[in-house]
Amino acid sequence: MAGKSRKSVRDKAQHEFVSEAEELLERMRHDLSTLAEAHAAGRGAPPATVNQLFRSAHTLKGSAGMFGYSQLAELAHHLEDVLDRLRMGRTTLDRTGIALLDESVSLAAVALEKLGGAEADESLSEAIAVLVGRIASFGEHAPPPLEAPLVAPLLPEGLLRALTEYEESRLRHSIARGSALHVIEVELDLAAFEEGLGDLTRAINEVGELISTLPSPGSGSDSHIRFLLLAATELGAAELAVRLELDAAAVRSAHTPAAAAGAESEGGSAAPREPVGGEADATSLRSLSGTVRVDIKKLDELMNRVSELAHERAALRALVVRLAADPSTARVGLELDKIQRGLERRVQALQADVLEVRMVPLRQVFDKLTRVVRRLKLDLGKDVRLELRGAETEIDKLIVEQLVDPLMHLVRNAFDHAIESAEERNRAGKRPEGLILVEATQRGHNVALEVRDDGRGIDAGAVRARAVEKGLIAADTSLTKKEALELLFLPGFSTRHEVSETSGRGVGLDVVRANVAALGGLVALESTPGEGTLVSLTLPITLAIIQALLVGVADEHFAIPLGGVRETLVVSPSDVQRSAGREILNLRGEALPILRLSEEFGLGATPRDQKQYAVVLGMGDAHIALLVDRLEGQQDAVIKPVLGPLRTLRGVAGATELGAQQAVLVLDVSALIEDGGRRREARA
Amino acid sequence: MSQQRAGESWDVLARAAAHAREARDESTSLRELLWVEVGGEPYALPIERVREIVRMCPLTRVPRAPALVLGVISLRGEIVQVLDLRRALGAAAPPPTRRSRIVVLHSEAGEIAGWLVDAVSQVLRVPEAELLPPLGDAGELVTAICVRDERFVSLLEPDRMQSLVAA
Repeated sequence: MAGKSRKSVRDKAQHEFVSEAEELLERMRHDLSTLAEAHAAGRGAPPATVNQLFRSAHTLKGSAGMFGYSQLAELAHHLEDVLDRLRMGRTTLDRTGIALLDESVSLAAVALEKLGGAEADESLSEAIAVLVGRIASFGEHAPPPLEAPLVAPLLPEGLLRALTEYEESRLRHSIARGSALHVIEVELDLAAFEEGLGDLTRAINEVGELISTLPSPGSGSDSHIRFLLLAATELGAAELAVRLELDAAAVRSAHTPAAAAGAESEGGSAAPREPVGGEADATSLRSLSGTVRVDIKKLDELMNRVSELAHERAALRALVVRLAADPSTARVGLELDKIQRGLERRVQALQADVLEVRMVPLRQVFDKLTRVVRRLKLDLGKDVRLELRGAETEIDKLIVEQLVDPLMHLVRNAFDHAIESAEERNRAGKRPEGLILVEATQRGHNVALEVRDDGRGIDAGAVRARAVEKGLIAADTSLTKKEALELLFLPGFSTRHEVSETSGRGVGLDVVRANVAALGGLVALESTPGEGTLVSLTLPITLAIIQALLVGVADEHFAIPLGGVRETLVVSPSDVQRSAGREILNLRGEALPILRLSEEFGLGATPRDQKQYAVVLGMGDAHIALLVDRLEGQQDAVIKPVLGPLRTLRGVAGATELGAQQAVLVLDVSALIEDGGRRREARA
Repeated sequence: MSQQRAGESWDVLARAAAHAREARDESTSLRELLWVEVGGEPYALPIERVREIVRMCPLTRVPRAPALVLGVISLRGEIVQVLDLRRALGAAAPPPTRRSRIVVLHSEAGEIAGWLVDAVSQVLRVPEAELLPPLGDAGELVTAICVRDERFVSLLEPDRMQSLVAA
């Protein structure tokens, strides 16, 4: 496509639209062939297929309209219209109709292919106009829909009343079509009725149509729930019972067609036409873009499956060990061991592949930063250069999306408030052009993102004075420089009562920290007055799957993402020192604040004279020692959100499943590190 | 079935159907409710908000959570909070029994939560007209009551139940 460098954004959006539209058209083509098959076999149009066609046309209309492709949108609009009439039973479909729909879809594909072309294609517009005319008149001569009286001879009392309007119309159509009606009565286990119903629904739709599902009172037992299903099919009751694997007594015939069904009317006697444009078929065979759009939820599911596979693998390994230990089975055990290892390698490779699919380069975010800075330069007339490094660093798609806001915020802050005016820079002996450097690097399971500027820097003394003025700290509080800069992250804190010549926007570092923390990351800030400021973000590469360290405290188990674990060590009571009322651990000369998980989580204190384990947690430069009772091994874990009304679980990043359907909470390393640090501030 | 008889039955049924439709128009719409037992009293939950009903299973405790939150369970890969409906209704909360169930509800907004009840008994269909306003002291969780088997059944509102914890 032309103008790639200048219009890359537009191109990207167009590219996405094209691949989406391609998929829609492909699906419509598929559905149309289903309709054609049904028609050829003398069956009516499957309602689910017609409904899906309608939805595809509707979606196509919407996105084509949004991108301003009016011809395509108009075509889709008329398609949607006729499909809606079909769906609601206001018109019927014959061979001509199917051919017409087919033609429209093919023409839409041609129109789609020509979107990239610069010049308007007159012959295409003409073809579309002609087709639109034909679609608009389609169905005008169709016979009026059959208004069959609603019959339901043996329907249980109340069932008819309970049907929705749509169900009633489906019932009416089924009877008009000459289908038999059956009432199926089933009792399903309360614990699993959803699956049971799902299976029945699928089975019924294979041989006919499920019209309604109604829960019904009077189940014989506490643990079961009774349902009445109303099904239209050409099968007899006995046959249907066999197909559904139910007792014959469970299926009762409610209505048998009175006469041979009036054959589907072949309305509209026009001869089938030659499809317009033979090139349309050629288009359908080759794809315009080699990509597939995938819902990230699908990838999550895939990831779940892979991790389930990992559970099975662990069970297999245990079996191998047992076999190998017994001399009589040792040989089988060894062979199985070899197979097991092969399986293990492949499962790991599969996991890595699935992870890789989720990964996108940070370039996407960096492009946005470039645009923001370009606009700011125009608006504010400041001379600032944005340098980006490590754009190829990859990170989980979900994280990338959440990163845009915090990064924009930081860059905008640097531009607005940190970089001085040209005169000021001149006086300070700096180059007139300010510099903002954004750099990404991968470090193990984490990605480090640094936003650095060479601006005026932040005066820790001024921050401290401001905090006192705002009543956030007492006037006599003694703070290190680092602790003073931490105050910037307090909600509502802003130091710019003396500077802001550009905008009244608050610095909002608290928002940045909250956003990054939600991703399991950490934010740190360093600054030297007169030289500049560095804000560093540390983020996990992915939220989807992590290597987790399992720990035990009292009767509970927790998982800790290995990306946040520096090391683990045994701690005897004598290793714990106290300093100003606070427990610290001496780790090769470095003093680490101690956080006892049992006390933090109120799980009952572990006797102080007992040997414990310290898990040294670290992100960026911050470290703490988390004391736990047991180390229970290492495992791959898929982190899932905890669903429910309780929104904030401080210190908990999510949960994971450890085989046997057991949920285990995953600790939020960054929150624990902050809690450990905050303790100290509170005491200072 | 002969043509003639078929014709007759069509007439009869067409009338029945017309009658049924009229009856529906007279706002006798039915509410479908799941009857549950909590602390020996019957309560009802709107069935359209019931996603599934699961047997009692081991719960993973959640530290620092309010007492109403019993823990979380894994539901075919989803991790769902389980709350104690008995406690929410001020009833005694003895250890779960064989009849205890976790009713998984979803809120208007689609948010799900599991609620522990003492038992699940049946599905009720109650005409809207039979739902009466709740008594003053019934608490805000109860939006209506109806009479079944000479007992008062209190209809609970899932959104309000969930906001108990969120608040």
